[in-house]
Amino acid sequence: MQGITLALSKGRIFEETLPLLAAAGIVPTDDPESSRKLIIGTNRPDVRLVIVRASDTPTYVQYGAADLGIAGKDVLLEHGGAGLYQPIDLNIARCRLSVAVPKGFDYEQAVRRGARLQVATKYVHTAREHFAAKGVHVDLIKLYGSMELAPLVGLADAIVDLVSSGGTLRANNLVEVEHIMDISSRLVINQAALKVKHDLLKPILEAIEGAVKK
Amino acid sequence: MRRWLLPESIEDLLPAEARQVEHLRRGLLDEFALHGYELVAPPLVEYIESLLTGSGRDMDLRTFKLVDQLSGRTMGLRADITPQVARIDSHLLNRNGVVRLCYCGPVVHALPAGFNATREPIQLGAELYGHAGIEADLEMVQLLLRALEVAGVQPARIDFGHVGVFRALAARLQSPALRVEDGQQELFVALQSKDLPSLRQLLADEPAEVRDAFLALPGLYGTSDVLARARSLLPDLPEVRAALDALERIAAAVDPAVAGFDLADLRGYHYHSGVSFAAYCAGQAQAIALGGRYDEVGLAFGRARPATGFSLDLRQLAQLAPAVAPRAGILAPSSGDAALRARVSALRAEGEIVITALPGHDEDMQELACSRQLVFVEGEWQVKPLERKV
Repeated sequence: MQGITLALSKGRIFEETLPLLAAAGIVPTDDPESSRKLIIGTNRPDVRLVIVRASDTPTYVQYGAADLGIAGKDVLLEHGGAGLYQPIDLNIARCRLSVAVPKGFDYEQAVRRGARLQVATKYVHTAREHFAAKGVHVDLIKLYGSMELAPLVGLADAIVDLVSSGGTLRANNLVEVEHIMDISSRLVINQAALKVKHDLLKPILEAIEGAVKK
Repeated sequence: MRRWLLPESIEDLLPAEARQVEHLRRGLLDEFALHGYELVAPPLVEYIESLLTGSGRDMDLRTFKLVDQLSGRTMGLRADITPQVARIDSHLLNRNGVVRLCYCGPVVHALPAGFNATREPIQLGAELYGHAGIEADLEMVQLLLRALEVAGVQPARIDFGHVGVFRALAARLQSPALRVEDGQQELFVALQSKDLPSLRQLLADEPAEVRDAFLALPGLYGTSDVLARARSLLPDLPEVRAALDALERIAAAVDPAVAGFDLADLRGYHYHSGVSFAAYCAGQAQAIALGGRYDEVGLAFGRARPATGFSLDLRQLAQLAPAVAPRAGILAPSSGDAALRARVSALRAEGEIVITALPGHDEDMQELACSRQLVFVEGEWQVKPLERKV
């Protein structure tokens, strides 16, 4: 592909990316929420968007199937970031990665006693690193969604998940007990594409970076 | 598990691809010979200590290990031929002047070097020892360009970097956390992935001059304007100036349309000591050839020698090079006739492919890819066009 392919997920990341793309003079011709197309054209014939699952974005960019991508820091940490440049923090889709437990569970005490915690999460790699750094033994249970349910039905003592407003936690009687890190979306670039397609990419990167700073 | 399945990322070379790989191997080694590079063939296994000399932890993880049942020592399957050739130069040849060596052979990776990468690349490369000046780096870059030309592969970008810039700046880091190896590793990872947000965090306590210089590095990539930008953005240190001068001279050897720079490209930072370079091809998610200067590697083998070189993976190159068509052969009947045998030998001596048709396989004759046949006409064996059976 001679032009530029940008991978991103629909929903919040897509919506919050639109103004940044507009700053670079790129306007998608379809809305992924209403269209079923997976490849979306733009007003520029040499730029197209591919709509992927959020956790697949780094993989598409790493393999060069997309030149650029927009991926949450959470997804990048799980992926490891090999083969990617991640120069710009877009400051969009902001939230935090936290540990949450059912109301009434004494997390501090459980951690101090050195108990083996059962932790349900989608972010197995990041959770393992976090608890290893604290010296806490955990059994990780990989789930793909609705993490909040796990402690309520006895599958786990705690969860590691993204929290933005905290509404879902409150609705399910969970409390946030530890803040692991702040999350926002990054622009990721295939390393070879940045070199080979430098002339095409540079103006786009500069426009996006300029828009983020504003 | 089906018994004939191969392990992950391990594959056979079937005739069409093997022909391509062998064609390239011969073409490139012959070309290297014309430039005075002598062929060496280091062993597939050797003691782990000498294999891992001067390399980073990645190489340790990438190396398959086994126990030598003769000595009880740990051996490794080579994951890179370069240190082996450095060992040959520093310890076995003991020449004091310039030594030019080339090699080609399979290496094995316990972990694939990249996504989609084979675990058994066929590494082909050339190394030049004994000259510290830029002329040696220039010779290597020119040899790489010539090799790609011989292979029929058009590079989209030859990218240059220089670890001297990073080293000069790293020597001026103040905070104790960044002066130890672990801290520098983090800095190195952030630079390598151009991760500016993390760099800002890591360098928060550094003096403004050092911090700004490091933060400028990830942006110092691109084409001809990079060196001028680097001279204005980086502190005017003698090491930095020397590195930028070297880059300027070496890039002049390459067509400006394909020359590029990336001052934050720290690949091989553990053993590289000067100019490094990489060739990229359109449509390839990874570099197709990597090279650079590594003056210190020989030290572990008893003799530090200036060294520079490059290597590439023939399997990857074979996918990019124009296809080599098989040569059509001549079909010879199976017969004890002495005149036929003499004619077949004569044709083979001329370089023709002559294939004997064994009895009972007439049905599968087209698999032999012959365009002509030997026919007994007017008292002698003559080469005639092959009549296709309908």
